[in-house]
Amino acid sequence: MVLDWLLGMIVLLVKLGLILGALLFGAAYLVWAERKFLARLQIRLGPNRAGKFGLLQPIADAMKMLTKEDLVPDGADTFVFKLAPVVVAVTAMLMFAVVPVAPDLVLFGRSIPMVIADLNVGLLFIFALSSLGVYGVALGGWASNSKFALLGGIRGAAQMISYELALGLSLVPVVMLAGSMSLTEIVAAQERVPFIILQPISFAIFVISAMAESKRIPFDLPEAENELGAGFHTEYSGMRFGLFFIGEYVHIQVLGALTAVFFLGGWRGPLLPPVIWLVLKIIFVALIMIWIRGTLPRLRYDQLMALGWKVLIPAALVNIVLTGVLILLV
Amino acid sequence: MTVYSLLFYLLSLLTLAATAMAVTRRHMVHAVLYLVLSFFGTALLFYLLGAPLLAALEVIIYAGAIMVLFLFIIMMIRVEKEDDRFFPFLQWWPALLISGGFLAGLLALSREDLVRQPGMTVAQALPQVFGIHLFRDHWLAIEIASLLLLIALVGVLHLSRRRRADAIEEAP
Amino acid sequence: MVPFSHSLLVAALLFGMGLFCLLTRRNLIMMLLGIEVMLNAGALAFVAASLHWQQMDGQAMVLFILTVAATEVSVGLALIVALYRRTGSVDPDPPADRQLAAQAGEGGV
Repeated sequence: MVLDWLLGMIVLLVKLGLILGALLFGAAYLVWAERKFLARLQIRLGPNRAGKFGLLQPIADAMKMLTKEDLVPDGADTFVFKLAPVVVAVTAMLMFAVVPVAPDLVLFGRSIPMVIADLNVGLLFIFALSSLGVYGVALGGWASNSKFALLGGIRGAAQMISYELALGLSLVPVVMLAGSMSLTEIVAAQERVPFIILQPISFAIFVISAMAESKRIPFDLPEAENELGAGFHTEYSGMRFGLFFIGEYVHIQVLGALTAVFFLGGWRGPLLPPVIWLVLKIIFVALIMIWIRGTLPRLRYDQLMALGWKVLIPAALVNIVLTGVLILLV
Repeated sequence: MTVYSLLFYLLSLLTLAATAMAVTRRHMVHAVLYLVLSFFGTALLFYLLGAPLLAALEVIIYAGAIMVLFLFIIMMIRVEKEDDRFFPFLQWWPALLISGGFLAGLLALSREDLVRQPGMTVAQALPQVFGIHLFRDHWLAIEIASLLLLIALVGVLHLSRRRRADAIEEAP
Repeated sequence: MVPFSHSLLVAALLFGMGLFCLLTRRNLIMMLLGIEVMLNAGALAFVAASLHWQQMDGQAMVLFILTVAATEVSVGLALIVALYRRTGSVDPDPPADRQLAAQAGEGGV
């Protein structure tokens, strides 16, 4: 009894450590990949001084951020100012807790689920965390006591709330098909056909609103550098800025994992081991997001809101009705 | 005392403390933040009391939508500090009387078995089962709720449209 | 496991705090927050009752409380913004009363 409990605890801690480590490592090298890939798209070389192919660049960046002066601007609300980057980074990392990385592992006669927490409301857990992530942006902008940051924060909050609706509605058909909100069961439901084939419209809406949620070009209005300085994190420096940065890149990985779980069949794939498949799918989605960043210009604010409210949400609603009709008929 | 009840009392304490901080803050942004913490605690209590779906919805709707809306308005009309006055101390007594009287009434109703009462059995409403229950036995209420949301949407649209006309008139 | 009355007690305390906030604050936004706290306390009582009698109707009720809270806040905040644009304050009293209250409350908070 006690031994079981202790073993469960150890397994949980090991899983937590592995996933956190992988996420942070991934975030560091995603930055490198983005800089390299973006540079190639723009016919530049990108970082190439630190180590072979600039592979040590993330380590140099981390050193720089840790040793830089950490400034709190005059008139800022100190507590809220310090809280905001933590909220962004922590909510992004916690989202990974419900993502299944592989099928159950049988070790010494015990079955170990390869997910930190298989909640029966896993999908809503993700939405809860992503709606809490809004606070990091809004509060960071507000607490900086700077008008650029405030504008960026307000824009960010409005954008994230608007696109969260479309994000949620685009996943309703997935839940209808899988009959569950647990991510493990959603992956299990895609044993024969991944949902991208059954739900192409949902997939498109999900990817577009996920990119808007992650606040990257073409949806980077909260930090539009040529009008708002750097938006909500204008006043941040040192490792606090680093936390915003980590949050953004962990978020990209989480979105890649979610796209994989909801539409690409999760860890399923031939030949290679499941974990590798999941990682490959995450990298694939991340690279596509970087590619889009290198290709498209930024939307105007009214275009952004019109796209969210007048195109994505109605399309998602129609898609839900259609899916319902098809499920009833078939 | 089991882990379960320990968690319950800890979370209750957290929720109550956060709410107490929230209702006494002068700075509205701080009040909103403490209230978010309070709703978070309530959501965890919901989970403990066997309603995982409602726990998630509580965070999404209360903390993620309603409180963000408050924050939004506070940031937009910039009234964080000014105008935030309490009632004068002299006029607190009606408030204390009403809240206290209400509390006393509730306590009187449940006093007889506050200490030695059998605990509730632990159960959890699975999301699937809850959904079926909701749409079979409460479908009319769901329709009414959706109508209410639509009416609110139209109402808010109307209010903000008239406001825009005012802003143009008042512009110097 | 926890007795039913203890969870009711927590809900009652929450409700009392919300009521207190609604009655003492002279700031429409904070008053609206007080109402939210009260609605939330009601929801907690419903969930506890749902577990106590092992019936899901209580939880269904919470869903409707959430709907009502959302609509109430959106309309309420729109009204507050409209009022603020018109009078430049979020005080529920008319300006004359506000001055009186300020005089009476010298030394108050």
